Amino acid sequence: MKYSVLFIAIALIATAFIAGCTQQAPAQEIKVGVIASLTGPASNVGKNMWQSAQVAADEINAKGGVSLKDGSKVPLKLIVGDDESTQQGGQKAATQLITGDKVDILVGGYSSAVTSAYEQTVAEYKIPFIVTGASSPIITHRTDIDTSYVYHHCPTTDSYGQYTTTFIDQVVRPAVNKKLGAAADRPFRLALIYQDTAFGKGVQSAVNNTITKNKLNIQLVSQQSFKMGESDFRTPLTAIKAAKPDAVYIAAFPNEGAPLITQARRDIGLDTIFLSVENNDNAQFYKDLGQYGEGSIIESRFSPYTAPVGTLADAQAKFKNSYNAKYGVFPDMMGASTYEGIYIAAQAIGNAGTTDKAAVRQALVDLNMPQVIEAMNGGTISFSKDFRESQFDLWMEQLAFNQTIGECRPNIVWPDNLKVVDFVLPSWYKPGSA
Amino acid sequence: MVDFGILLQIVFWGVYAGCIYILLATGLNLIFGVMKVVNFAHGEFLMIGAYITATIFFITGINPYAIILLSMLALIAIGAVVERLCFRPILGTGKLNEIFLSIGLIYIIQNSAAVIWGDEWQSIKSPYEGVSIPIGSLNVPLDYIIIMVVTAGILVGLWLFLKRTKIGREMRATSQNRKGAMLVGINVERMDIISFGIGCALAAAAGTLWVVSGQVFNPYMGSIPAIKAFAIIILGGLGSIPGAIVGGLLYGIAENGAAYYFGGIWKDAVSFILLIIVLVIRPTGLFGESGE
Repeated sequence: MKYSVLFIAIALIATAFIAGCTQQAPAQEIKVGVIASLTGPASNVGKNMWQSAQVAADEINAKGGVSLKDGSKVPLKLIVGDDESTQQGGQKAATQLITGDKVDILVGGYSSAVTSAYEQTVAEYKIPFIVTGASSPIITHRTDIDTSYVYHHCPTTDSYGQYTTTFIDQVVRPAVNKKLGAAADRPFRLALIYQDTAFGKGVQSAVNNTITKNKLNIQLVSQQSFKMGESDFRTPLTAIKAAKPDAVYIAAFPNEGAPLITQARRDIGLDTIFLSVENNDNAQFYKDLGQYGEGSIIESRFSPYTAPVGTLADAQAKFKNSYNAKYGVFPDMMGASTYEGIYIAAQAIGNAGTTDKAAVRQALVDLNMPQVIEAMNGGTISFSKDFRESQFDLWMEQLAFNQTIGECRPNIVWPDNLKVVDFVLPSWYKPGSA
Repeated sequence: MVDFGILLQIVFWGVYAGCIYILLATGLNLIFGVMKVVNFAHGEFLMIGAYITATIFFITGINPYAIILLSMLALIAIGAVVERLCFRPILGTGKLNEIFLSIGLIYIIQNSAAVIWGDEWQSIKSPYEGVSIPIGSLNVPLDYIIIMVVTAGILVGLWLFLKRTKIGREMRATSQNRKGAMLVGINVERMDIISFGIGCALAAAAGTLWVVSGQVFNPYMGSIPAIKAFAIIILGGLGSIPGAIVGGLLYGIAENGAAYYFGGIWKDAVSFILLIIVLVIRPTGLFGESGE
């Protein structure tokens, strides 16, 4: 009996000693929480984001991981949180990652509505969060909570709405006037159809503001909205056709954008130029669109099927090939920014030399790292001092139908320093009205 | 001033949407009429029907309109299994059990479909894509004409089955008075399984027409159409098949009209406003009888 008590006492002391040692030991791994929509309507994009994050982490870990202040090299450990494409799911995933898995940093977030719902938790626990998918500016512009730990690494609806509207004014409008033989001051007739969410309304607001602010000769002849996840667009398209537009700008997710263009061309006979936002530039979109995508425009920063010539082409090809070898498909641009998000997280923790949240946040404030696979303003990734947004170089692609593969493929048509071919109005194009 | 050509187009798109709602709601109503069960998972049978059609089409390349029969037959079998294993044990134990069982089925069926087919959005191309027929001021794609004809054909077939066959008469008798039907020797459990199977087959037909019309689909597509189907059968009258048909058409036209005149965000809301108005004026629905 006496020996048993002694044995238990020694065991308890040893356990306490080991536990104490564990607490004192330096970090064995850096826990990176990746919030993505693995299930629900946005799962196609969500999987791409999660898989891209894994490709980045594998590359970083293959080089030994992240160097910390104490000289140790620590690998990244990714933990995924599925936001289920819903606000409740996002809240659940963020809470689990922050309080359950105790992650050091968060990367990801797709739907702006979902991401903004769990930002409150991120603010409360002061976890550095690199948002790589949600494009509404409210993510870092909102003032109801402290967003100082949130860093936005994807273009906002403000930036690409403005960019696309400028392209319409500078490239599409003159081409339509030339086809019509109209005077240069003929107002361009633009229709807008947008998802009734923060994302869609953000694009709508950006288009309206750009036209007003720059006094562009563009007239918004129809503005139609639809619910997220809608699949039947025939009636709003009928309304758009009745407004006789010269082009239609679509703010939709890929699962909405492809049927929308198909229904417009096939069912409504709306033979015009469709302009889509960048999140549509993924392999499934091209597959679903088929021949109906001919002549369409996509604003982009990363495409599965093209890249701007120059130094980034090799880096993009390497990422696409690694991803394709691992998962059998090509990554999309939300995957690309999430891939970069992991590199940004690693760089910030490396610069801070610790996983201390406040130190990592300061490292993100001071960040100035070379661009990874996407073209950045000035060739470097850094976050603006006011709203903590990184600045991307965007481009516009025009789709051409490839008979052999039965799908469209993109060519960069703008800006001039990146363009491969000129923008052309297809032979079947019908302008709004003279 | 309303443009008559545009009005005609909106009505046309409303009738097309109505065709899918009619098939879904008629199946739901048939099941409710005979078994008096509330099945919130009915939209998942539409989803399975869509996937069966798409899968056979991807593998064989045969005309998807021809696959509709295979899809319906498959769903008769699946529906019979679901009725036998899930609904029959809880029949008569209270509406709450039925509701929670069907909600559970939604998750099980959706996740099973995601495992089998993946949860990416998919679409198929109709062989008649690009073929249009001029009707008056409209240039109507052939697919939508076929969808309307197929829907009418299925409804006529169902009507003949219910009116002219012994099983159909027994189903109607069970629907009117379950205990009375048992007293005269009708095997009501057999009627349950047949009505559930046919109800699921009608959902499969709706799913097939959904995918053939070029609409995208994924494992979570069934939830919203199922909610609309419930609204339609309440609008038309619980247990009334003519009510489901008229309700489906009204619903399709109302939501498309609302989308045109008030914007897409009113699409669902206006249809439910219509439902509330009808229920205030006639609480049993358009064709319902008191006591349902």
